[in-house]
Amino acid sequence: MVAGITGVGGVNISQLAELYRQQVTSGQGAGGAEAPEAVNPTAAVRAAEQRSSDFGNLVLDSLGKVESLDRTAQTKAVQAATGDLTDVHDYVIAATEAQTATELTTTMRNKALEAFNEIMRMPL
Amino acid sequence: MFEAIGISGSGMRVHRTWMDAISDNIANVNTVRSTSDEPFKARYVVAQAIENGGVGGGVEVAGIELTRDASRLAYDPTHPLADARGMVQMADVDLGEQMTTIIMAQRGYQANISAMDRARQAYQAAIQMGK
Repeated sequence: MVAGITGVGGVNISQLAELYRQQVTSGQGAGGAEAPEAVNPTAAVRAAEQRSSDFGNLVLDSLGKVESLDRTAQTKAVQAATGDLTDVHDYVIAATEAQTATELTTTMRNKALEAFNEIMRMPL
Repeated sequence: MFEAIGISGSGMRVHRTWMDAISDNIANVNTVRSTSDEPFKARYVVAQAIENGGVGGGVEVAGIELTRDASRLAYDPTHPLADARGMVQMADVDLGEQMTTIIMAQRGYQANISAMDRARQAYQAAIQMGK
């Protein structure tokens, strides 16, 4: 019941963040393993890899913040249910912060994906 | 990340404490004590701004002060707490003052909720930008 209250849009943020973290780290690991030792990637490719991991880390950092905000909201919801919540508004504030941060992160990710799709649609 | 929401939250906390103090004062409006004891004194919440060198970090409760007014003696010889002269000490609470103050506390709480909601709307408008 509590998870139902706190989950923003029915999504468990911590699971989502863990999934994304696995994707990013496994993606980076696979990329490193596949690259043959003999072939030296050019500076441009290396810079591009650096940039993509920068963006991945950015999203990861952002998800980490969302995760902690969501955890705060969940703690407050449990306190509200058990009667330990002294300030009623504390839960609403925590939930609002978690919700807004989640929206911001998903918007950031959607915008980046949009840009990527735009490039993929480029006629060659 | 969302400073305005947290700052409004601190305002709500202070006003909630203020409402608690006023409720306690009103609850004890008829509390009678013997003349040898201290009378019940109305509680006042002291608010203090949180300075962080920038726009400020909101407000916090600095402490709870008691009213410094003199005690109000009343003649009630049938009261079990009455002294030899038949006097008791009434609570030092002005009900009229408390009722007007609770409106201030309530309006302050509502104003903070309003400010928080405006901030939330602004943040969400920023997220929606360009859609």
